[in-house]
Amino acid sequence: MSKLKPVIRHEYLTIVKQPTFWLAMIAIPAVFAGIIALNYFSNQSSANRIEELAENLENVAIVDESSLISEAVVNSAGLTLYPESEKEALRQSVQEGDTEALVVYPESIAEDRKYQIYLANPDVSLTTSVGSLADTILQSSIYLPLGDANIIALAQQGAEGQIITYDEGRETAGFNEYVVPGIFLVLFYVIFLFSIGYMLSSVSEEKENRSMEMVLTYVKSRDLIIGKLLAVTLVTFTQLAFFSVLGAIGFLVAQSLGNEMSLPFGISIDELVFDPLTIFFALSFLVIGFLLFSGLMTTVASIAPSSKEANNFATFFYIAPWVPFWFVMPILTDPENSVVRFLTYFPATSPVVAQMRNTVGNIGTLELWLVLGVMFAFMLASIWLAVKAFKLGALEFGSTIKLSKLFTK
Amino acid sequence: MKKPIVSVKNYSLTIGDKKIVKDLSFEVLPGEVFAFLGANGSGKTSTIRSLLGIYETTSGELLVNGKKLTPETASIVGYLPEERGLYTRSKVLDTMTYFGELKGMSRDDAKKEALAYLERVDLADKAGVTLKKLSGGQQQKVQLGVAIIGDPKLLILDEPTKGLDPVNRKLLLNIVDELQQSGTAVIYITHLMEEVERLADRVLILKDGHSRAYGTVAKLKKDFKSQSIEDIFVSIYNESSAEAAK
Repeated sequence: MSKLKPVIRHEYLTIVKQPTFWLAMIAIPAVFAGIIALNYFSNQSSANRIEELAENLENVAIVDESSLISEAVVNSAGLTLYPESEKEALRQSVQEGDTEALVVYPESIAEDRKYQIYLANPDVSLTTSVGSLADTILQSSIYLPLGDANIIALAQQGAEGQIITYDEGRETAGFNEYVVPGIFLVLFYVIFLFSIGYMLSSVSEEKENRSMEMVLTYVKSRDLIIGKLLAVTLVTFTQLAFFSVLGAIGFLVAQSLGNEMSLPFGISIDELVFDPLTIFFALSFLVIGFLLFSGLMTTVASIAPSSKEANNFATFFYIAPWVPFWFVMPILTDPENSVVRFLTYFPATSPVVAQMRNTVGNIGTLELWLVLGVMFAFMLASIWLAVKAFKLGALEFGSTIKLSKLFTK
Repeated sequence: MKKPIVSVKNYSLTIGDKKIVKDLSFEVLPGEVFAFLGANGSGKTSTIRSLLGIYETTSGELLVNGKKLTPETASIVGYLPEERGLYTRSKVLDTMTYFGELKGMSRDDAKKEALAYLERVDLADKAGVTLKKLSGGQQQKVQLGVAIIGDPKLLILDEPTKGLDPVNRKLLLNIVDELQQSGTAVIYITHLMEEVERLADRVLILKDGHSRAYGTVAKLKKDFKSQSIEDIFVSIYNESSAEAAK
């Protein structure tokens, strides 16, 4: 036990004392915020440009062969509705650049739902704005006979369906039930992206810089691996605390600015559900899943002779947790599907799939216990394998340890 | 007679199908420098790893201070392996303190001893510098410091002067002298025979996992009717060539 403490401290401080550790932690939310801000301003700027163009679109001709277009709507947009006989002359005028655009609503529009837009140049903004204008003219002309402005808006935009769901006679909180366990799924990916690689680099760098032999003189292989695992777990908690503080500051800043937090999918902070059993399973899948992957990464680092080769071998484990996203619909809607069942128990996908199914509640309590038991067994096996691989490979600097050696006495 | 600090009896090691060491026996006494010699691949490093408990032995007994060495009891040993290196991203003082702690010292004691050593080898101003910023020779001095921190009773040095300039080499040899004077036993592995002549009390020459010469420097010279350890070493390793030539 006394050797564990310095190992944990050393491993923990080695990671958190690196400026790159904090740079990465600050940079990633900053990059996300930057992308969101850039996207927002770029969309704003595009929208402004389109609005500006639409306002200036006076040199656009409209020809109606379908008898669906209202002249009043066309005129209200500041444009002129031309007779069918002028269509060819207008098309030539557009081709020669004298007219900016021509919109032709053909007779067959009701059958094939297609109409033509002729443009004088390939400017994307012009394409977007004329397209948007032509759509608006068509829709407004069709809805005009409805009369009332609210009814026209309803017909055009539809209405929001408010879902009330009952589960065994009890009214559920809908999407709000998924939020708390869903956070654990997000946390798994945050941890996975940030921390799993530390276990890999911690072992492979120690091998590469040849300090391993000196360390192993004073620390048992098993203690060294456990110390490293605990240190990486502490690093993970540090990261979670950092992001929590960052999130809390963001929330407080938004509140102090008087902005009401507008959350998607009708999520309401007051209606979030904190079910102890669901949270227990979510937390267990998070911790056990993390340790399972850490064990696998340690095994990879131990059998590979250098950190470069360790990274190559680890690619499978880096990709595996993203595989469930290819099967997200069956996972959420068809839990009896044999692929979903396989992914629920397969060690490299289990932490994510079990978490997803626990989040949406399409897995029974008995099966949750079974999945947890199987995942726990795989976690123990991965740590056993890590220790075994470490004993065999820790002092092997020149070649890769054969997998068959791990399973022989 | 002094009680040996290292006692190896009928030690053999087989890895896979390869017999690395065969029926090796020797002793190391407190306060002596024991030169453990042999060509590359003769089994020296494997023997040391078995002595330290890193490798499981195939047969025989390897004892340090009368006990089989484990990480729990290894604090009496200082080890500078041939395949050596340190955490390049860690600071010098942190690294030395960490190894002191691994040897069972308190953090404060380890720090104090590390600072005293750094002072001794003119690296006190580098205590807060990361190892990757040190020159090769400076890193080697830190590695020696890591090996000797905690006042070991047995010091195992595997080619400790490899790559050192003459000034630092002299400094290192002086430190080994001092440790020996204070009663530390030193197992000294080297290919530099002048270092053996200068430091060693007793010698063991290993060839293909077998002990081919073992005793005090004077005894070996007498037995082999030779003026130097280097000649003895060369004659042992030329035997097989001569035999093969026959």
